[in-house]
Amino acid sequence: MTSNFLEIKGLHKRFGNIAALNNVSLNVSKGEVIFVIGPSGCGKSTLLRAVNWLTPPDKGEVWLEGELVGSSSSKLTIKQSQLLNGFRARMGMVFQQFNVWPHLNVLENVVRAQLVVAKRKRADAESTALKILDQVGLQNKIDEWPDHLSGGQKQRLAIARALAMDPTLMLLDEPTSALDPELIGEVLTVLKRLVNNGMTMLIVTHELGFASEFGDRLLFMDGGEVIEEGPPKKILTMPKTKRLKMFLEKLDVTSFKKEEKL
Amino acid sequence: MLEYQIFFDYTPMLLLGFWLTIKIVVCAIALGIPLGLFLALGRRSKFLIVSFLSTSFIEVFRNTPFIIQVFLFYYVLPFYGLKLSAEYVGVLALAAFGGAYFAEIIRAGIDAVPKGQLESARAIGMTDWQAMRNVILPQTLSIVIPPLTNQTLTLIKESAILSTITVHELTMTGLMVQGETFRPFEVFIMVALLYWALNETVATLMRKFEQSIKKKRNPTSDSNSSSTVEKSEGTK
Amino acid sequence: MKFDISYTLEAFPRLLEGAFITLQVAILGFTLSVLLATTITVARTSLNSKIFNSILAFYISFIRGTPILVQIFLVYYVLPVFGLNLGPFTAGIVAITLNSAAFVTEILRGGLASVPVGQFEAAKSLGISGYALWRKIILPQTFITSIPPLVNEFTMVLKATALLSLITVVELMRVSQQIYSANYHPVEVLSGAFVIYFLMCFVVSRSSVFLENRFKVKRA
Repeated sequence: MTSNFLEIKGLHKRFGNIAALNNVSLNVSKGEVIFVIGPSGCGKSTLLRAVNWLTPPDKGEVWLEGELVGSSSSKLTIKQSQLLNGFRARMGMVFQQFNVWPHLNVLENVVRAQLVVAKRKRADAESTALKILDQVGLQNKIDEWPDHLSGGQKQRLAIARALAMDPTLMLLDEPTSALDPELIGEVLTVLKRLVNNGMTMLIVTHELGFASEFGDRLLFMDGGEVIEEGPPKKILTMPKTKRLKMFLEKLDVTSFKKEEKL
Repeated sequence: MLEYQIFFDYTPMLLLGFWLTIKIVVCAIALGIPLGLFLALGRRSKFLIVSFLSTSFIEVFRNTPFIIQVFLFYYVLPFYGLKLSAEYVGVLALAAFGGAYFAEIIRAGIDAVPKGQLESARAIGMTDWQAMRNVILPQTLSIVIPPLTNQTLTLIKESAILSTITVHELTMTGLMVQGETFRPFEVFIMVALLYWALNETVATLMRKFEQSIKKKRNPTSDSNSSSTVEKSEGTK
Repeated sequence: MKFDISYTLEAFPRLLEGAFITLQVAILGFTLSVLLATTITVARTSLNSKIFNSILAFYISFIRGTPILVQIFLVYYVLPVFGLNLGPFTAGIVAITLNSAAFVTEILRGGLASVPVGQFEAAKSLGISGYALWRKIILPQTFITSIPPLVNEFTMVLKATALLSLITVVELMRVSQQIYSANYHPVEVLSGAFVIYFLMCFVVSRSSVFLENRFKVKRA
């Protein structure tokens, strides 16, 4: 059962002539932290967005805890799209560009989906929100408007917004790529705490140091395919394929620069 | 040369017409904005028939004179057995006309909200409509207020055309007074001044409303420049 | 009752004649309004006079704040009081010109604002001034950037001409009224006129893109 926590079966997705996903399959056990790396346009973001059916794949299936999230073979009925919304609430998603809601203050950003999607009472939603905002270090900002937050604060708010739905799985799409180097640390701290709490996570990132320290598994994708897969330290120190070697060589220069600043 | 007595004698009558103008425009907006929202969402629909019908409605009502729309409503509704008073026909025609324009304003507002906003709402489990209501439409509000105001002013002015189907609004009343007094200058200047005053009032109120919304979201800064200063400090 | 399309078809030749008048009125009114608005724009920039500007602001605010129908009535009924007995056609053209000129003036103000100040200075340093400066340098740029709103304003004028039927100008709307008051089939006849109005306005509003491309190429 545990090995079947999240099952991704044979995903295909094309955008015009480009294959963003070419027969990608993946099994994730509960509590596992999986990092996905690869050059831009390799399909790593598409993989994440296919898991919660935000970008429906052309072919393939996704199962969460033994339940079918989506299948390309069956048409999306009204009943199924209702179910899908429930699955999405259980799969918290964090975007590169934060996508916090600028018309709602910090507290309301975390409260709104609890009311609308999870149908919680306002009092319950607010106490959950306060608890989680405290965890991400935004307890002093609850009345602030997102426009007045730094990038790091915005991303922590976005993480809090997802966590408030009690997700069993977190999907993070380059959560630190849009941040200035000195703001990356505060977001990584929040993510480390999630790892320590046993959250199952799929993280697309360029932070190789973070991946090798906290990842249970690392996936290297290129051209819509998983090229290498295994324990992060092993993969990063002993790349088997030429493509990964080249990718790491290019990335090394920039990532070391980033780490120096940290 | 001015006949001042007319101002005093006929003011109550003109004000009565003015009041009907206001009521008609308010009703037309109350119907027209939901219609516009419906058409704007319909135009984005993935069902081809819905988006085709919405687009056609919008284009047809935007590309024909309002007066012929009014006449068609006036003659077509009873043609299909729907007998309404001229006032109701007027409200319906004005709402349909306004709805077509409101739709395009709302659509432009929705397009102006970054795509990630809809995605984040959908990713957290909201339905399309929940995402619209909770995330997208509130953000379009400050974008659409100026053009919605302009369209409201247009509706006030276009409502004058309802005089042609005997709705006793301001312009119709003006024509009647002119028929009694044969003093067109005094009468039409008064009619024009009333429209002008209404337009200016609405424009001023909406400007205040727009500012209050902007202030709410950016309470500590009065202008854009000060908020960008704050942002750059935060990233340094 | 049933929609009998034969009445529409029967009315069609006369409706087309009416549409021809409508187009003439619209083109005449719009041309005059552009001429008036251009004069106003040049005068405003060159005079830079407070009195002129406040009169202008008053005029624009009045036109924008009142229904064009009332403006048409004002011109049609009021001018005779002052001894100016214009026929309905002339009164209609005058009303439409005065109305549209206010909007075109505002459009040109926006277009003029997009012409860099350096253009004025560069021309002056070359010894170009007055008529030549406006005719050759400033106005062409102003008009090219103003094409989309000007095309939109023309469709507004086209639609506004239908109101002239109320002061007995025999254009498309009036023609259809004449026809259905004789045959008692308003729905069929008005539908025909409606389609003609739609086609005219739709084609004109779509021409904006075409015109823009044409002039942009010329400019490059």
